[in-house]
Amino acid sequence: MTAVLQTTPTAEPVANYRLSLRRFTRNKLAVAGLAVVVLFLLFCFVGPLLYSTDQTHTDLTQVNLGPGGSHWLGTDAVGHDELGRLMYGGKVSMLVGLAAGVLATVIGTLWGATAGYAGGWLDAVMMRIVDAGIAIPALFILLVVSAITTPDTLGLIIVLGLVSWLVPSRLVRAETLTLKSRDYVLTLRATGGTHGRAIRRHILPNSVSTIVVAATFQVADAILLVAYVSYLGLGVQPPKTDWGGMLSAGLTAAYSGRWWLIVPPGLAIILVVCAFNAIGDGLRDAFDVRGRG
Amino acid sequence: MKETEELKVANILEVEDLGVTFGTDTGDVPAVREVSLHVRPGETLALVGESGSGKSTVALAAMGLLPSNARASGRVSVDGTQVVGAGEAELARLRGRTASMVFQEPATALDPLTRVGAQIAEVVRNHRSVSRAEAAREAVELLRRVGIPEPERRASAFPFQLSGGQRQRVVIAMAIANSPGLLIADEPTTALDVTVQAEILDLLRALAADSGTGVLLVTHNMGVVADFADRVAVMLNGEVVESGSVEQVLLHPEHEYTQRLLEAVPRLEVEAPVVESVPREVAGEPVVEKAEPATPEGEAVVELRGVSVRFGRGPGAVQALQEVSLTVRPGETVGLVGESGSGKSTAARVALGLVAPAGGTVSLFGRELGRTRGRARRALLSGVGVVLQDPVASLDARMSVGECVAEPLRMHRRGLSAAERRARVAEVLERVRLPRELAGRGPRELSGGQRQRVSLARALVLEPRLLVADEPTSALDVSVQRTVLEVIAELQGELGFACLFVSHDLAVVQQFAQRVVVMRAGQVEEQGPTMTTLLRPETEYTRRLIAAVPVPDPVMQRRRREALRTGVTA
Amino acid sequence: METLVYLARRVLQSLVVILIVTVVVFCLLHALPGGPARGILGPQATAQQIASFNHEQGLDRPLPVQYVYYLGTLLHGDLGTSYTLNEAVSKLIEQRLPKTLVLTVLSALVGLLLAIPLGMWQAVRRNKPTDYVITTLSFVAYSTPVYFLGLILVLVFTQTLHWFPSQAPQGDTLAQVFADPVGLVLPVVTGAASMIAVFSRYMRASTLENLSEDYVRTARAGGARQGAILFRHVFRNSLTPVIAMLGYYVPVLFGGALVVEQLFNYPGMGLLFWSAAQSSDYPVLLGCVLVISVATVVGTLLADVVQRIVDPRVKAGQA
Repeated sequence: MTAVLQTTPTAEPVANYRLSLRRFTRNKLAVAGLAVVVLFLLFCFVGPLLYSTDQTHTDLTQVNLGPGGSHWLGTDAVGHDELGRLMYGGKVSMLVGLAAGVLATVIGTLWGATAGYAGGWLDAVMMRIVDAGIAIPALFILLVVSAITTPDTLGLIIVLGLVSWLVPSRLVRAETLTLKSRDYVLTLRATGGTHGRAIRRHILPNSVSTIVVAATFQVADAILLVAYVSYLGLGVQPPKTDWGGMLSAGLTAAYSGRWWLIVPPGLAIILVVCAFNAIGDGLRDAFDVRGRG
Repeated sequence: MKETEELKVANILEVEDLGVTFGTDTGDVPAVREVSLHVRPGETLALVGESGSGKSTVALAAMGLLPSNARASGRVSVDGTQVVGAGEAELARLRGRTASMVFQEPATALDPLTRVGAQIAEVVRNHRSVSRAEAAREAVELLRRVGIPEPERRASAFPFQLSGGQRQRVVIAMAIANSPGLLIADEPTTALDVTVQAEILDLLRALAADSGTGVLLVTHNMGVVADFADRVAVMLNGEVVESGSVEQVLLHPEHEYTQRLLEAVPRLEVEAPVVESVPREVAGEPVVEKAEPATPEGEAVVELRGVSVRFGRGPGAVQALQEVSLTVRPGETVGLVGESGSGKSTAARVALGLVAPAGGTVSLFGRELGRTRGRARRALLSGVGVVLQDPVASLDARMSVGECVAEPLRMHRRGLSAAERRARVAEVLERVRLPRELAGRGPRELSGGQRQRVSLARALVLEPRLLVADEPTSALDVSVQRTVLEVIAELQGELGFACLFVSHDLAVVQQFAQRVVVMRAGQVEEQGPTMTTLLRPETEYTRRLIAAVPVPDPVMQRRRREALRTGVTA
Repeated sequence: METLVYLARRVLQSLVVILIVTVVVFCLLHALPGGPARGILGPQATAQQIASFNHEQGLDRPLPVQYVYYLGTLLHGDLGTSYTLNEAVSKLIEQRLPKTLVLTVLSALVGLLLAIPLGMWQAVRRNKPTDYVITTLSFVAYSTPVYFLGLILVLVFTQTLHWFPSQAPQGDTLAQVFADPVGLVLPVVTGAASMIAVFSRYMRASTLENLSEDYVRTARAGGARQGAILFRHVFRNSLTPVIAMLGYYVPVLFGGALVVEQLFNYPGMGLLFWSAAQSSDYPVLLGCVLVISVATVVGTLLADVVQRIVDPRVKAGQA
């Protein structure tokens, strides 16, 4: 009955964010992940300034060259320089991934927070819709969409956002449910505070860490999903490309030994997705919030 | 003469110069320094102190159960075996056979997926090579010994199917399964209701007396100490500051800290069970000079009439409140008491409009709460201040103390300028005896007692007509509790608000409230002026409740226990 | 009795979810440019042809009416007829679904059997080299697009080492599939990889949480050895929440099967779906989506029921 305060001994009171920062920097994988993301951003956005290549015109005199010489990573079947193309495709992959991940998190946050705070039948209906959405595999929807239309980059971001907001919505709903029964929210409500105030001043600010962690994982998933999009026939159209497009274009070439067409984009995808996952893991432990395992 | 006789018996537990340091995110924290103590077979040593004093750390160190970030130094020997620095295999042979432990939280101490009989049998088979069937039989026998009804049937129950008290009995059965020489009990009754606490203490006492087991009892509750211990060691900041026999320490404390601690313990005033009056050397000063129970007049501040509340639907629904009626008049303090599950917190939440009643009506300041909406409802509620139990959850850790206290001003005094708000916050912080500089700090930097005073400041910043306090001090140490209660009482005198005070602690309510409402299983058991109801209760339930509260005076507590046993309750 | 009430409620919930899925599928059907008619009659169809087709099929009626009609045909097990294969969609799915189930169930089993011990091992060796290595590997496995992983496996194990064929077992019956177990190795491994990654992470987190529970301390205080604590208590308690996650993983498994079947030319539902997408065979596409969603809902329901059996607290509504 008497809940004696369980105190964990701490040497000194440390501001919250500094403790989080310290925990994050101690996670070696997370720090490595952050470094990888920064390096790839530099590579894709600053790289082309230092290593300039023509990625819009085909050059049929320079097709299928192996790595070496003036083309460090060789060329593809229409004569694009592979290293330059890796930078060029990375821009699309990372921009679309980031935008779609953020969009999914925003939709998921609004949906989940509304359902969790409202509770009752509205919550039940909204969560059944989420269940239904989760029941339809994203790849199947993307393939159906690809059978209907070929979207542009903005359309792609919207489609990817629309198929991946479900998981963050469940996380945010769970967080909202916990927060709305916190003593400080009850106190606010009992002394005449409005719902709007409870949401604005307490629930949203306190969900920020959960949302940031969810967004990080969501970006990782979205970049991975972008890699599937070309494979499913939904990708950006040539001469534009992304890492997934390079990978699926190089699939058949790989069987005839032209490994340089698939290994660089494949590794790039793996590294960047790993990096975002590691950052998410580190942030989750640093903020001490729940998120996916 | 007595001394030499005792020396012949080897100590079952001997602690010498024990030191424990925790490695944390923010550096090393010493938790225990140079602690020396011993327990002889058949005696009970109580290790008392407030939170953070290191008493539980000593208990865990004696079992070799310290968490992995702890480093221990010095000597701890259990029945001659050195524990500090011993290997896991050696410790495993010791634990559950030579020394056993009972923990604070019966809710989480048992494996939720394993039947309780199997968990007891496992301890038996950890140390003795008996067959499965034999171990299962022993488990049933042990359940019978710890007083579980129908032990054959209960052995196949899962922990969640048992009550808190029964679970604690199962943990005790596990602890005594191999007749250990030493039993370490870490706050064994803290999570339990007082009537259950009394039963568990009786059980432990009987078991220890039967088998000559030495007991190390870790507790913060002086009543439990008086009820159970032979000797006492008082800990402060990781060190033992005073030790001696229970009479000596509780009745004639020498160390200044022990005196302060005992003085802060709220004492339940009870009618002496024996005709002669018991002299009380350390009389606990009542915290508050209660206003004379001159029936307060005027319209009720809050009134519950025939309120019923149900949680859930269908067959799993719980009737949380049934036909509950109570009234708080201007300026008076009403104590709402009861055991866990009695519905006292739910009743307070109904009064606050947080729980809508299924039946009955709630009036706040003369207006029916269920019929007001929107702006009118918010205006009505602005006359209420709230302090809840959990000092951590009560304040939003993302806001500064100043912002927390200013929140009601932002809601209901929109016209105030920022400077006026700051001034008002500083003023109310000083009223709850906190420095105004605290406004810029974060709640995480404050102690539990400071946080509760911040909550109180927030509750009082609008000068409400009603303060609802739900177990405001039950998570706090007694010395801190005293300060918080004093502040509330003082401000009530100045500001004249009424108070609905929910508590499980009869002693606190007795000192704090003019009227008391006793609740049981969702209903009002009885109510009346505090002194009448708690000294001469009308119902058997209230009598039992009062009799179960141990008083922190070993001589008097012994008489009460005797009286209870022979059925001569006052 | 309590169990029956619970089951009834869960089944009802699942039905609602499936109903919502049909709405989504129906909307997708009508989002097609030119509607289903354009899909069926082909891009050369004239406006007049489309109008008369729409009238014949009742497609000019208000959408809610059409939806009710669509539901009615679904209830009769009628998923429509394939444009290209000229067969009932339900018939096609009936042929292909068992093979996809074989692939996904095998992948799930292999995945779980590896992931659970790995996750526990990591938890016990938390922050030691073993933990870091497995964590890194599982990040890599999770981050590799399935088709890229499959390609690498084929390049290594088929082209270079000649251990396994690059083609999955062919044939129409399950017996023919099982007659060629070696052919199943690469598809199953490819499908299991990300599952190993995800579930070893779940198991690691769950085990870590349980290792810090009070009951572990009680068991230690009773003299239990580390091994006994792990296998007698922590294992079961950690596994229960992981089982609950299985239901939500069903769609991911099917998504994986879609790619794996295409990659290894395994004639399951994924391949059917794939070729239907290439030829804009809408009835097949939508039928497959519907069937897979139902499978997912049923999978989630099963996972819940299993958890209820394993964990007595769930039954009492305490957990």
